Amino acid sequence: MKQIFILVLIVFSILSFSKTLVIKGSNTVFPIAQLWIEKFKKMYPDVEVTLEGAGSSTGIAALFNGTADIANSSRWLKEKELKKMSEKGKYFIPIVVGYDGIAIIVNQELNINEISLEILSKIYTGKIRYWNQVNPNLPKKRITVYSRNTASGTYETFEKKVLNNLKMAPWVRLVESTQFEIESVAKNPYAIAYVGVGYVTEKVKVLKIGGVLPTKSNILTGKYPISRPLFMFIDATKGYPESGVIKNYITFALSKEGQELVEKAGYVAAYGF
Amino acid sequence: MQRKLGYYFQTSLIFVLAATATVALFFLIYFMIKESYPAFITVGKEIFTSTNWYPTSYEAEYGMLAMIVGTFLLTLFSSLIVLPLGYFIALYLHTYASSWEKNIIKSGVELLSGVPSVIIGAFILMYISPILIYFDIWSTENFLLASTGLIFLSLPYAVSLMTEAMDAVDRSLEESSLALGATKFITTFKITTRASISGLFNGAVLTVNRIIGETMVVLLVGGGAAMIPRSLFDPVRPLTAVIASEMGEVELGSMHYHSLFAAGAILLGISIVLTCISRKLTRRWSI
Repeated sequence: MKQIFILVLIVFSILSFSKTLVIKGSNTVFPIAQLWIEKFKKMYPDVEVTLEGAGSSTGIAALFNGTADIANSSRWLKEKELKKMSEKGKYFIPIVVGYDGIAIIVNQELNINEISLEILSKIYTGKIRYWNQVNPNLPKKRITVYSRNTASGTYETFEKKVLNNLKMAPWVRLVESTQFEIESVAKNPYAIAYVGVGYVTEKVKVLKIGGVLPTKSNILTGKYPISRPLFMFIDATKGYPESGVIKNYITFALSKEGQELVEKAGYVAAYGF
Repeated sequence: MQRKLGYYFQTSLIFVLAATATVALFFLIYFMIKESYPAFITVGKEIFTSTNWYPTSYEAEYGMLAMIVGTFLLTLFSSLIVLPLGYFIALYLHTYASSWEKNIIKSGVELLSGVPSVIIGAFILMYISPILIYFDIWSTENFLLASTGLIFLSLPYAVSLMTEAMDAVDRSLEESSLALGATKFITTFKITTRASISGLFNGAVLTVNRIIGETMVVLLVGGGAAMIPRSLFDPVRPLTAVIASEMGEVELGSMHYHSLFAAGAILLGISIVLTCISRKLTRRWSI
């Protein structure tokens, strides 16, 4: 009886002392956060971390509801969100955790190495439908255009930076995952898609834009036109957390080790150069 | 006394369970209506008249026409193949198949109907869709593949429901028809079918409902472009695929969220209409 009592006491004390950290948001930041959490849990074994990758908007909405401590985001706050913030008297602060470039990929067999933003925009808005309209040397085949679905931050960045808020043609194929885009481009010789550089594999060819490849330095210096910073947003309405789980997590993310994990996930580290 | 108490206990238990189920069902419908209402009010008839689906753009548009048409065409095409085929397989099983043959086919069909739709979708995606490139088809996931997947999924369902309906017909009816000199085929085609028409209709409606509601296959191999398909090789994006693809990432409480529920409400509406039609037809045609 006494032993059971002690056991219950131990379980209770563990439950009540373990801290929780809830992170939601961008699919793009997800692989980074996954690596961070693996290490972070080893450093602080008593912390329970849950990570959910659903899309930048979802993360920020969760931060408003208070159902998340940290919102990962692959884009800056929207006008709507800024307005909502001032209405509700909340104050979110951005923390840049890394940089990402959006790579334009085509099949290895397609005889093209470079594309301009203008042509890209025409392909996605439907003004160009065949490859020979891009370059007369290319075959007269219909372009199979792939895009991520509408809730993804990558989609929103692409829409803003490449399409200038024009709308995509209805036959653009909206797919659920970046992995699927890559598989499709690898097997379909006339496909085109855009993906975060972290996902690019040997199976596909990355196009230069205006002569610039999405390399690390080109993304960091902003030479590559479709690049963006990646954020974590935290709710600092009551001030920046000076101690506690959230603070520890952020400090770890920005440390040398944390930034190395950003590179390991395939993105560009924001600090430590 | 004790027996009476037991009786009361049993009936009240059944009543409570049934009432819970009914109430839950009503809550489900209430919830659908409540969540989709803002979309119908704010967006209005644009949902049914426009094909522009840009729910997260700067100037958002919520036209679902392409998806509604996609759902209809896909269901129609698949049903037109599945229902007759299912009927004739059921007819064969009922009339001509010997008992061991029937056993084998039936257990095969039941096994097939247990295959998860995601497996069928993935199979088509990995083994059939790459073949299409050699035929010069621009979209390797398209209407035809989605429909093929739906046919695969719903055929076993249709067959087992229809066979059951036919098997439930009184033997004496068929025997008298045969005794009057009708062939086996005519007997089944005219007499058994007529006698089991309500079961057959129910089976058909359940199958069609299943085709409409099927999500995974159309999401995987449908192609995901919100255009009205003009040929069998165009991509298609039915309502279910939209919901499955975007619900996970949508911002709760936004117009996008409500419009996804509106898509669900449209599906529910279609299914209710179908069920009503089947009931009416059943009543008119049954003996």
